Amino acid sequence: MASQPISKKRKAVTRDSPEADEVLLSDGGDDFETALLNGIQSQSEDEIEEEDEDASSVDLFEGDSDLRDGGTSEDEIASDEVPSDVESDADLTQNGTATLGGAAKGKQDVEELPANFQITKDANGNPRYIYTDIDPVYDSDDSDAPAGQNTIGNIPLSFYDSYPHIGYDINGKKIARPAKGEALDALLDSIEVPKGWTGLTDPATGKPLELSQQELEVLKRIQMNEVPDEGYDPYPATVEYFTGKTETMPLSAAPEPKRRWIPSKHESKRIMKIVRAIREGRILPYKPAPEEEEDEVEVKRYDIWANEVARPDHPMNVPAPKLPPPGYEESYRPPPEYLPDRNEKKAWEDADEEDRDKEFLPTNHVALRNVPGYEKFLKEKFERCLDLYLAPRVRRSKLNIDPESLLPQLPSLEELRPFPTTCATLFRGHDGRVRSLTVDPSGVWLASGGDDGTVKVWELLTGRQIWSVKLGNEEAVNVVRWRPGTEAIILSAAIGDHVYLIAPPIGDPEIESKGREILDAGWGYAANGATSNTKKESATQWTRPGSRLEEEGVLVKFSLRKTVKVISWHRRGEYFSTVCPQAQSSAVAIHTISKHLTQLPFRKLKGLAQSALFHPSQPIFLVATQRYIRSYDLSKQELLKIIQPGARWISSFDVHPGGDNLIVGTYDRRLLWHDLELSVRPFKTLRYHQKAIRGVKFHQGGLPLFADASDDGSLQIFHGKVVGDMMENATIVPLKVLRGHGVKKELGVLDLDWHPTQPWLVSAGADGTCRLWT
Amino acid sequence: MATETLTATSTSDSPSQVRVLLSTRHPDISLPENPGPILVNTNLRRYALSTLVNTLLQSEKPIPFEFLINGTFLRTSLDEYLTANGISAESTLGVEYVRAIIPPLYLASFEHDDWVSAVDFLSETSPAGKWAGSAGARKSGQERMLSGSYDGFLRIWSMSSEVLATSPSASNGGHTSSIKAARYISPSHLASAGLDRTIRLWKYSEDPEGFTASISPQVELYGHKASIESLAVHQPSSRILSASADHTLGLWSTKKSDAPAAPTSLLPSSTSQSFKRRKMGPSTSTPQRGPLSLLKSHTAPVSHAIFAPNDHTVAYTTSWDHALKTWDLPTSTCVDTRSTSHSLLSLSALPALSLLAAGTSARHITLIDPRASATTVSAMTLRGHTNAVVSLAADPESNYGLVSGSHDGTCRVWDVRSSRSEKEGRVGESLYVIERESLKGERKKVGGEGVKVFDVVWDTSVGIVSGGEDKRVQVNRGKGMVAEKGA
Repeated sequence: MASQPISKKRKAVTRDSPEADEVLLSDGGDDFETALLNGIQSQSEDEIEEEDEDASSVDLFEGDSDLRDGGTSEDEIASDEVPSDVESDADLTQNGTATLGGAAKGKQDVEELPANFQITKDANGNPRYIYTDIDPVYDSDDSDAPAGQNTIGNIPLSFYDSYPHIGYDINGKKIARPAKGEALDALLDSIEVPKGWTGLTDPATGKPLELSQQELEVLKRIQMNEVPDEGYDPYPATVEYFTGKTETMPLSAAPEPKRRWIPSKHESKRIMKIVRAIREGRILPYKPAPEEEEDEVEVKRYDIWANEVARPDHPMNVPAPKLPPPGYEESYRPPPEYLPDRNEKKAWEDADEEDRDKEFLPTNHVALRNVPGYEKFLKEKFERCLDLYLAPRVRRSKLNIDPESLLPQLPSLEELRPFPTTCATLFRGHDGRVRSLTVDPSGVWLASGGDDGTVKVWELLTGRQIWSVKLGNEEAVNVVRWRPGTEAIILSAAIGDHVYLIAPPIGDPEIESKGREILDAGWGYAANGATSNTKKESATQWTRPGSRLEEEGVLVKFSLRKTVKVISWHRRGEYFSTVCPQAQSSAVAIHTISKHLTQLPFRKLKGLAQSALFHPSQPIFLVATQRYIRSYDLSKQELLKIIQPGARWISSFDVHPGGDNLIVGTYDRRLLWHDLELSVRPFKTLRYHQKAIRGVKFHQGGLPLFADASDDGSLQIFHGKVVGDMMENATIVPLKVLRGHGVKKELGVLDLDWHPTQPWLVSAGADGTCRLWT
Repeated sequence: MATETLTATSTSDSPSQVRVLLSTRHPDISLPENPGPILVNTNLRRYALSTLVNTLLQSEKPIPFEFLINGTFLRTSLDEYLTANGISAESTLGVEYVRAIIPPLYLASFEHDDWVSAVDFLSETSPAGKWAGSAGARKSGQERMLSGSYDGFLRIWSMSSEVLATSPSASNGGHTSSIKAARYISPSHLASAGLDRTIRLWKYSEDPEGFTASISPQVELYGHKASIESLAVHQPSSRILSASADHTLGLWSTKKSDAPAAPTSLLPSSTSQSFKRRKMGPSTSTPQRGPLSLLKSHTAPVSHAIFAPNDHTVAYTTSWDHALKTWDLPTSTCVDTRSTSHSLLSLSALPALSLLAAGTSARHITLIDPRASATTVSAMTLRGHTNAVVSLAADPESNYGLVSGSHDGTCRVWDVRSSRSEKEGRVGESLYVIERESLKGERKKVGGEGVKVFDVVWDTSVGIVSGGEDKRVQVNRGKGMVAEKGA
């Protein structure tokens, strides 16, 4: 009971204390300014009134508290008794402070007063102060006030000027007046300002108010616009309690609590929208099940094994197929011994799908929910459909043919011997390319002509040069050909636009004189007949080449005005033809030896003439232009046939000694075999060379051989057998590639010729050599 | 040592042994006492057997031996031989041993101005020397070599590489073109022929000291219309055979009196048009004669002609037309034709075997039995050359030896016993290959370019003599063969 009044009293005191006011002010911040103004006004009005007002206010307060408490009698009594003291005390202190306090204190008081109450009119019309409730906040109690505190309250200290003490402490002991210095001391004090000197007097102690170091610093911080509290850090380092970084050693392994999860507002809005729509029935979450219609028309199905009873094994009884029970392997989490190791797994993966012993690979899944979907589902469905669609209903008999039997029967190379295989002799002596060469009809001599303008005759087997003549210096000998027939040795050679007929002194006197005879026979005819024959063809004059060459054996010479590229003899040795591709209408000329006569059989020739040949047995003349070969009947003087090899540029061609077959070599690397009886188109195309084919030749001595010479430096030997039977096609077998000639300036083998009887081949190369192949 | 070998063989882990009966036909190397059958290990090869024989002979210097079993040389171990021929190891094997041929060593070269087309030898063992008998016998070291060259000259060489005599030039009655064949008729008579289609007989005279000699033309024989490829001479009957590219075989007499007159159309003076030839016509008049007969049956150039070794009235010829023909000379008829499948380019007789060896253009040598009773044309094929075989000569000492010269630039020595059976018959391999000395250190040329061998002669006293495109005559001596025969 005793404590209560004290507490009450303290309450009253504290209520009036500046701290309490402060709190009030902060609470009712709205009307602070007006209240402040009122307070200032009231302070300026008078001070006496203040006491009354205070007393009345206390009364009112008391009454109020009574009203508020609605309290017990004890409380009322107590409150009635004690407040008088309190009032007096409060008054004293209020007044004391008012008088004692400096400007700052007074202002505080002024401030606190209007904040505490509202003035209304009571029933008598007197102003009534209604005090606001005191919020018993922390610090409202000052029970921990310092012991040495003066308890005289808020009165001016001047009241005690006449006493030796200045007040009383909480225990009622007099607080002695501090000794006052002399005026000089005061002066000195004023001069030597100690740290913390304010020039004020602490009202509580009466000592000069000195600020402690701490307080000074606080003041300083306030001045500097800093936070007054010393340890406060306005910008603390962020502690990332929650971060996206995964820590290796997290502070806690606890999973994220659900409360951390912040649902998306937008999503919840949308969900709510849907929820609302579902509730209102605007959205139907499930399609209403279609009404079951019993299909009576459907085919009736039976489960034949529905009521199966065990029966003894019998062929007519088909028991229900029994699926094997699933093994451990098929489990989603098989025991470790059923799991394949790495090698088994690899073997299974590498194996062809059909070869795998089981269709699946036992796999360990931690939980059933981790088992993935069956990946091959679609594929298997599709394949099943495909099987059903494509399933053959009939056993298809496979075509059982040995592929070997479909290949043409080629005779073995051994059976096709002899044919040339190796280089037996080299003929070295020409300076520059050897353009043409030919083996004489007896098969003993080889004649060659080259870029050095010489014609040379060699002994075929040994490679010994027997005879040589230089026909020109600038131009190359483009072609040399022997006259057919062994009764005389006559060589024809073309150098530039000149054609020479030569009787080389290599035979015996009889043969040599015969050759001279044949060549000289035409002189008289030319002298006699030239005048009577006024035709245009005779414009070409056959002349003697001059004594130097005549002594060498060169007997006749004539010019065709354009470079002669090809000479070919008629089999009887009476005629020969020349081809000068550059001469348009006079490209092909036929010469008669016995008359020394040159004829131009074609008034106009379509295309660029490339080569010309006499047919080996019939009076037919064949002329090759760039793309076609035309055959003419010499006796009827008409065009017989146009052979179309289909090549872009024919380089040479040759007629089989039988007369019905033709080989054509082209600059576009093809060797074409034509069967004249069959078609004008090629019977066979052989495309084995890398470069243009320069020459083709049939063996004329009865061996079924033909060969071609190409710019790639190789010769190819073929077996080409022609049978008399019209029903059977020619057999063409590639036999041998002869390599050895060097390729110089894109040119390889320029000409080739067969030995008249032996299976020997001679070739002329751009590397300056001729070679004999046996 | 033989007993050691035998004990070693008996204790060795290979149990197979065979009984061997050693024998020889040469008395100088026959075993002192017949040891009877010897049990030898079947894994022995030629060298071990040779050591064994040397031990039995107790010869201080080991002689290399070759071993012949059933007529063929032992080239493998005995075991392989028995397996290959299906002979039981329990039977007694008759083994004949002969001296091994020692590699023909290079002796000397005779350098010429042009290709050497023909060589022949005059020694006491050469045909000409034998025909001459003791009168013209040449002592060892006095041998003479005759060479014919493409430059148209014949040369007589002493064995010290000196040219003793050269034939006269074309203007003095010499060959107007290349010589392709040259033979000794007798020590003082020579025959040569060539591209000028004539056979020329020469007289060779040499002063007794052997420092000066001369070749003078004796007779010119006209008749062939193309170059003459080879000559064969038989001095006792004074006959000459010539093979010509005009497809004929010519039979000539060496005696002026026997020979008919030359066909006038073939004489060089007959061609009025031949200015050059007329100008260069012979200033010295040499008697001109014609052939006794020209035998025509071949259809291609005749490449070689020889007299039958035992009968000078029979001749054999080879030709490019693949045929080997036998001629009866007195009647001038072709009595037999053997057709092969290749052009034949050279011919030589192996009299002891009654076989003819013919070199072909297909790089091998065919052994042909010319007797009418022979059923097969080709008895054996000798393979190894890489180009045409143009010259053959039989070993004068052995009945089985043969040397061949080829356009591939090698001469090969063959022993017909060294052979094996293949599906196309018996095939032989060469014992030795004689390369051209001029080619030493160089790669083999394509087509034997520059080193072709044109002629080869095998003489007992000198060795193997070959001439070729490298402008030299090369002499190789088969030292072992030649020296030990004489010993």
